[in-house]
Amino acid sequence: MSDVGKVRLRLPSSIKAGDIVRVRCLVIHPMERIERDASGRIVDKKYRYIDKVSVTYLGKAIASFDTTQSVSENPVFAFTFKATEPGKLAVTFHDTHGATYEGAAEVRLG
Amino acid sequence: MVDGGAQVEERTGMTRRAVLGTLGAVGVAAVAGVTATSSAVAQALGQNEPIEAALRRVFGGRPMKDGRGVIKLDAPLIAENGAVVPVSVEVDAPMTPQRYVKHIYIVADKNRIPVVARAVLTPDSGQAYVGANIRLGESGSVRAIVEQSDGALLQVTREVRVIVGGCGG
Repeated sequence: MSDVGKVRLRLPSSIKAGDIVRVRCLVIHPMERIERDASGRIVDKKYRYIDKVSVTYLGKAIASFDTTQSVSENPVFAFTFKATEPGKLAVTFHDTHGATYEGAAEVRLG
Repeated sequence: MVDGGAQVEERTGMTRRAVLGTLGAVGVAAVAGVTATSSAVAQALGQNEPIEAALRRVFGGRPMKDGRGVIKLDAPLIAENGAVVPVSVEVDAPMTPQRYVKHIYIVADKNRIPVVARAVLTPDSGQAYVGANIRLGESGSVRAIVEQSDGALLQVTREVRVIVGGCGG
């Protein structure tokens, strides 16, 4: 449980200016699925899962995901961005319990 | 004195039972009400509904063109574990401020929550590509639905066989 919210970003080792870069990011999160009681009825509670993922590069929004419980536990998301100059790539996750987790990577061009 | 006491006790006993009965009924009603509202609010995008209802709710019956040749939906033919199924969608379309891919929806027909995820893209994305690990409850179609900035909808479908379901719900 203590690992919840750990974010890992994977970028290619070398990025040139103008490249379209594919990024994969992993977040440790339970993504609780719907539970049912013995009679098959859905247990009503506030399920904890990520419902919003947003990606920014140089402080500008690049992409976002709206997600549901149909996304797997410890989800992996992949997306692209166009590398123009060195700077910060950040991914923010927001879950239904109000927690936010952030992962960031420095984009270096070379 | 003794008689009166017994009577009172009898009477309170009856009342307590009646009160408990009423409270129980109210409780059930309250819980039912909460279930209806909270799940509707919490799952604005992914509701527990059949696929036809989901598509009608999200796209409002707008026509969808076949996206074969434009959309590349990558999903395994056979998913041994439905709890983690890697899916990626690549769209061969320009990403310019005038015309770009605005949304990519990943939809699993057989899931109780069919709309898995929606990606919102911008021209800065450079290329319309997204990937995610999704859950699949049972074998069935997985769709990628692409909405372009001008509102045009394209979709492709892939069959995925699931050995062990991964939704539980």
